[in-house]
Amino acid sequence: MVVGDIATGTDVLVIGAGPGGYVAAIRAGQLDLDVTIVEKDAYGGTCLNYGCIPSKALISATDVAHNAANAEDMGIHADPAVDMQGMVAWKDGVVNQLTGGVEKLMKANGVNLMQGTAEFAGENTVRVAHGGEGQGSESIEFDSCIIATGSRPFQIPGFEFDGEHVLSSRDALALDEIPEKLVVVGAGYIGMELSTVFAKLGTEVTIVEMLDDALPGYEPDVARVVKKKAEELGIEFHFGEAAKEWRKEADGMTVVTENKDGETSEFKADKTLVAVGRQPVSDTLNLEAVGLEPDEKGFLQTDDQCRTDVGHIYAIGDVAGEPMLAHKASKEGHVAAEVIAGEPSTLDYQAIPAAVFTDPEIGTVGMTQDEAKDAGFEPAVGKFPFMASGRALSTGHSDGFVRVVADEESGFILGGQIVGAEASELIAELALAIEMGATIEDLTATIHTHPTLAEAVMEAAANARGEAIHTLNR
Amino acid sequence: MVFEFKLPDVGEGLTEAEIVSWLVSEGDTVTEDMPVAEAETDKAVVEIPSPVNGTVREILAEAGEMVPVGNVIITFNVEGEDEPPVEAETETEEAEAEEPVEAEKAASNGESSAKGGRVFAAPSARRLARELGVDITTVVGSGPSGRVTDQDVRTAAEGGDDGAQAAEPEPEVESEPAPETTESTAGGSQAVSMQKVDREKTLAAPATRTLAKELDVDLNAVPEVEKREGQSFVTPEAVREYAEAQTAAKEADVAAIAETSKEDERVPYRGIRRTIGKQMERSKYTAPHVTHHDEIDVTDLVAMRADLKEEAESRGVKLSYMPFVMKAIVAGLKEFPYMNSMLDEEAEEIVLKKDYNIGVAVATDAGLMVPVVKGVDQKGMLQVSQEMNDLVEKARDRSIARSDMQGGTFTITNFGAIGGEYATPIINFPEVAILGLGAIKEKPRVVDGDVVPRHIMTISLSIDHRIIDGAVAAQFANTVKNYLENPALLLLE
Ligand SMILES: Cc1cc2nc3c(=O)[nH]c(=O)nc-3n(C[C@H](O)[C@H](O)[C@H](O)COP(=O)(O)OP(=O)(O)OC[C@H]3O[C@@H](n4cnc5c(N)ncnc54)[C@H](O)[C@@H]3O)c2cc1C
Repeated sequence: MVVGDIATGTDVLVIGAGPGGYVAAIRAGQLDLDVTIVEKDAYGGTCLNYGCIPSKALISATDVAHNAANAEDMGIHADPAVDMQGMVAWKDGVVNQLTGGVEKLMKANGVNLMQGTAEFAGENTVRVAHGGEGQGSESIEFDSCIIATGSRPFQIPGFEFDGEHVLSSRDALALDEIPEKLVVVGAGYIGMELSTVFAKLGTEVTIVEMLDDALPGYEPDVARVVKKKAEELGIEFHFGEAAKEWRKEADGMTVVTENKDGETSEFKADKTLVAVGRQPVSDTLNLEAVGLEPDEKGFLQTDDQCRTDVGHIYAIGDVAGEPMLAHKASKEGHVAAEVIAGEPSTLDYQAIPAAVFTDPEIGTVGMTQDEAKDAGFEPAVGKFPFMASGRALSTGHSDGFVRVVADEESGFILGGQIVGAEASELIAELALAIEMGATIEDLTATIHTHPTLAEAVMEAAANARGEAIHTLNR
Repeated sequence: MVFEFKLPDVGEGLTEAEIVSWLVSEGDTVTEDMPVAEAETDKAVVEIPSPVNGTVREILAEAGEMVPVGNVIITFNVEGEDEPPVEAETETEEAEAEEPVEAEKAASNGESSAKGGRVFAAPSARRLARELGVDITTVVGSGPSGRVTDQDVRTAAEGGDDGAQAAEPEPEVESEPAPETTESTAGGSQAVSMQKVDREKTLAAPATRTLAKELDVDLNAVPEVEKREGQSFVTPEAVREYAEAQTAAKEADVAAIAETSKEDERVPYRGIRRTIGKQMERSKYTAPHVTHHDEIDVTDLVAMRADLKEEAESRGVKLSYMPFVMKAIVAGLKEFPYMNSMLDEEAEEIVLKKDYNIGVAVATDAGLMVPVVKGVDQKGMLQVSQEMNDLVEKARDRSIARSDMQGGTFTITNFGAIGGEYATPIINFPEVAILGLGAIKEKPRVVDGDVVPRHIMTISLSIDHRIIDGAVAAQFANTVKNYLENPALLLLE
């Protein structure tokens, strides 16, 4: 032990204060455990500081401007001026309010907060290095530990993030000037969301993607709606091209890409956003000290109670595997804390919903038609286009559709895909239906407010039974 | 191809049965309808026939195992192309319309409820299952389309009485008392979770918590030492004391059980025994019983039967007193139709039965069974006699069909066959009355001022006082008595 070290004891040590870690800490506090949380950067983690919240804040703000500027159909003529610094300041205000809230909540639940970088020093000990010269370090002894260190963006060779030319999503969300030309590497959800933001702010956006389509992982008809709208916004797609290298120019940069035949193309830009995915943060924890080894992708393997191979060590959130989503991290945080407190908790959800905040939005949950088939169901599928929704038309956003996948025999809802305005909200109804074991009939028989977008969910369910009123039945 | 054979519905709405024995082994050749196993249902031992021609591929249930209806118990290799496994549901002869279908549906839904990893149950029901230690994927749902409800989970937790789970009662005595509640699925280091949580929240210093963990003590179960800020607070000493007391209690329990287990034998409460028990309990606690006692001078009947006995025998029928009693009862039932009724509780109606189907309680090795002679009013004495003798025989060797024990409207129990004057028969619910017969004995009686030996039979008539009042019971008994004291009257029936 280093001289001057103070060894503190705690029941539960949480490493990382993202939506996984802070929820675990609060829940453990509620369950009367003595909890200490260590965060090296900012409370709220990626989600609150550099991910979900700031990106959604900017998406909403740019929507306001974009919608106002594009409302001639509604008889509105406006030419909004965007003050980027003002917008970023507002976004930062939102973030600060939330991170401050998280800090207060943790304190109110008796959680000991500690700033610093944690690293295992033994099976029941971590060493926490405090940031900055002369801040020293201290040891904490714990009974149980929850690893919630999250993830960081992947770098691709030749494109090290410099915050100036090559940007990570975090850098992009902190820009206080609107770039004129932006190359985005990667057409996954983060790339698509941020491309939409900048396109709406007037940036010329070019997306280069190694694969053949945007939004891999989503069904083609869902992705198509989003891609079409993106193209209408002026976003240019180049599929089958991998970013290879870049050169600095007097007025920005040139990005060189290569297709699989080895042919290269060049794109001029002010800046390049690299959004090719994220990797778990498991390499900086000195895991050998507790005898844990991540898998080849860096994820920590856990059971349905979030336990790693070492019984008293738990892992949650992005570091514990796909899908890397904030709500999945929070759920796991909940479960890990309860398991440690001796409650009969386990991860037994039936489906994890996911949302993409593109224009229009995507919301999915549960099984697709093909997945239902593979799982042995005979799927009954119902669809409802927002073109047929009174509410969608009256908002001026009628792209997309709702699809409900159910089991033909029993009527149980198995999944749903929504692409369209407010899909991120609408998907919650289907998530609840799945968890509750609700049937098509349950959805159809539930009175939905008129006129709302949610009616589309009811109509899609009715369509699965050939009983839709406002659309032709399948 | 492989043919999967599911345990068919072997009884009226039955949800499980015990496989008594297997009559074939893996590799055996079977032909359709050939018996492959014996299963004991609530009512009888039945043979389960093979549904196909083929060879036995795998036997999936052990003799002695309780199996829920709808579980695959055996698979066959059947000649034919390589098709996906077929499932079979053989119908038992008199499969009743509604109930078996229900049970089967529930069972198949129960299976599909875990299809593709999906369990169709609300999160609250899933949590309850965890708390009660129930594997929810094995629970048969009774909700819409087979959705698993809280109640289904509770039923399964109570031992799968309704066939929700293939719970096999342990015949041996357990060597340790079962943990009180909520054993967490964690199954790991959290001994805390083994205990019932008495308090919601307990304050203690971290060191106390560590100690409690070491000693496997649930802080919430430790008696509070003082209150702090309105919460219970405990000290390390209290934890230690509690742990010692617990250990002592546990040892005492183990010792006590080990002690008794040397002498006591434990027999599983199931099959016919359990059915009888359930049925009796239901009857006793549903129908307020009143028992009316009387004695009947059957001297003339004894003489009459003696006369007819030989004639009957020459026609191949063993004539007992029972057919006379049955006929007398039918006469009584016709006069007092409420005695031959049933209460439809749901509809709040009393159903006056127009059939006269008389059950005869028979003591068998396996327990009480009640074969039913149907349409006693329409059959001659010899036919009634013959049918009853056959049924009793079948009940004794347990080859009786379920249908022969159903549809009764009134029951007779002959406790006198073994000994005893009076008893309190329990009504064969949902019937409303039962007549118990004592032994016929010669007893001194006063006739026309003289004491003479007479043949006396005692009777005990229990009635459901919800439907029948004591006066009616007595009048009915009088009618039966009149017929049996003057058996010639039976000729008029
Ligand atoms: C641009 C962007 C948009 C996103 N949008 C969405 C969205 O719309 N919806 C959604 O569900 N998800 C979204 N995500 C993903 C989401 O942010 C993550 O899934 C979520 O933050 C994971 O939570 P976590 O608790 O596992 O980890 P994180 O939020 O990454 O938190 C981990 C924390 O641990 C700290 N840490 C790491 N190592 C140490 C150490 N050794 N010692 C101390 N502290 C340490 C880090 O500083 C960090 O604060 C988005 C992500 C990005 C980048």
